[in-house]
Amino acid sequence: MSTLEELKEMVIKGKKKKAVPLVEQCIAEGVAPQQILDEGLIAALDIVGEKFSAGELFVPEMLVAARAMAACTDVLKPHLSAAGSEPACYGMIATVAGDMHDIGKNLVRMMLEGKGFEMADLGVDVSNETICDYLREHPECKLVCLSALLTVTMPSLASAVAAIKEAGLDEGRTIFVGGAPITQAFCDEIGADYYTVDAGACAAKAAEVMLG
Amino acid sequence: MIGEEADRPVYIIAEKINGFVPRSGKAIEEGDAEYIKEIAIAQTEAGADYLDCSPATTNGYGDNLETMTWLINLIQEVCDTPITLDSPNVDILLEAMKLCKVPGMINSASLCEGKIDKVFPAIAGTDWKCVVMLDDDVRGIPSNAEGRIDNFRKVMQKAEEYGVDADQLFFDPLVETLGTNDQSFVCFSEVCRAIVAEAPEAHITSGLSNISFNMPSRKHINIPFMILSMFSGMDSAIVDPLNRDMMGCIYGASALMGNDEFCMEYIEAYRDDRFGVQKK
Repeated sequence: MSTLEELKEMVIKGKKKKAVPLVEQCIAEGVAPQQILDEGLIAALDIVGEKFSAGELFVPEMLVAARAMAACTDVLKPHLSAAGSEPACYGMIATVAGDMHDIGKNLVRMMLEGKGFEMADLGVDVSNETICDYLREHPECKLVCLSALLTVTMPSLASAVAAIKEAGLDEGRTIFVGGAPITQAFCDEIGADYYTVDAGACAAKAAEVMLG
Repeated sequence: MIGEEADRPVYIIAEKINGFVPRSGKAIEEGDAEYIKEIAIAQTEAGADYLDCSPATTNGYGDNLETMTWLINLIQEVCDTPITLDSPNVDILLEAMKLCKVPGMINSASLCEGKIDKVFPAIAGTDWKCVVMLDDDVRGIPSNAEGRIDNFRKVMQKAEEYGVDADQLFFDPLVETLGTNDQSFVCFSEVCRAIVAEAPEAHITSGLSNISFNMPSRKHINIPFMILSMFSGMDSAIVDPLNRDMMGCIYGASALMGNDEFCMEYIEAYRDDRFGVQKK
């Protein structure tokens, strides 16, 4: 097994302490930083996402893999920027006003980061104003992910999407919505672009749509 | 070991190779070597840190060095899991120590009959562990927590005199049956907490199934006893690691106590088919 394959295995298993030295070893062996990211890290989280969607992995297994991935990315980042690699795409994520849930949102963020997205996390209970201000100030941000975990905060999600559209900030952007009570029908009704059922599916869909 | 990265991981002492367990008693009396080897392997694979080895049977057979030697050799033929030498006869224990390829555990010593004065010099400066019961010659098992804590302090003093480290000791606070003393666990728990407070390096263990003696549906006493004792500081137990309900609850309790990062041990043990709906 090559060092790169071994790295991928360790990220899938969430073995941070074993994975990080393997990133360093790959670099020492002369593997291109972009290849380490694509074939070692992103490929690993792809598999984790697929397995999670298929019900083969439990939530902590996804969290621990995402943590291993993040630790590896930290080590890899200086090498990537030295090699001139740009993030695949910029995006933002938030839980809408009135809703304090962040576990699902964090999972989605981590899975998207695993795909190479550079994600700004605006946190929980985020007002429409804050969301719109952020989008106004960050034209490079193309992916907008909004979450609501409660039936009572679903209207906030609708109002956030409406606010973005009214301000014309949806131009050139793609809006993903998600959360336990959300459905495809609700997504269509409020005029968001995509709904996915879980974090793994969101990352896969976003990669397909945004990165081609 | 459950909670490997935790301050107090839980050590599993596997109980099955014991002449008082009917199936093992039969195997010992009939010289059924295959059965002994089989359960040595099965208990090891189920996560035993130590294999208890107690040759005496209910018929008064086996409490001798010869039977102990036979068992030790069979166990060591199939695995290298450390052995817990279990006999009321200290001389057998001390002789049997010499037969063990890896340092194991003595079960047991206590302030009674000067046992500690024989066992502690033999384990001082080694990697051997020792189960220490908190009874004494005068009071037997002290009826209250104070008496047992008092005995614990005396034992610690002896340990210091003989140069035995606290982490070599597995204290057994002794459990009375709940059916005859409804405050039994309350007392047990108090002793556990005192031991942890005064000697955090020392371990606490229990042959826990005693607690439920003569009660119906014993597992509903045994499992809560295990979990509540863990929360009181007990970090070992003499149990059947093939008992899926018990093992699952120990993994679950360890995770609940914050000793299992990302619940990975719990999930791995589940995937290894150690508890939950049987996969194979």
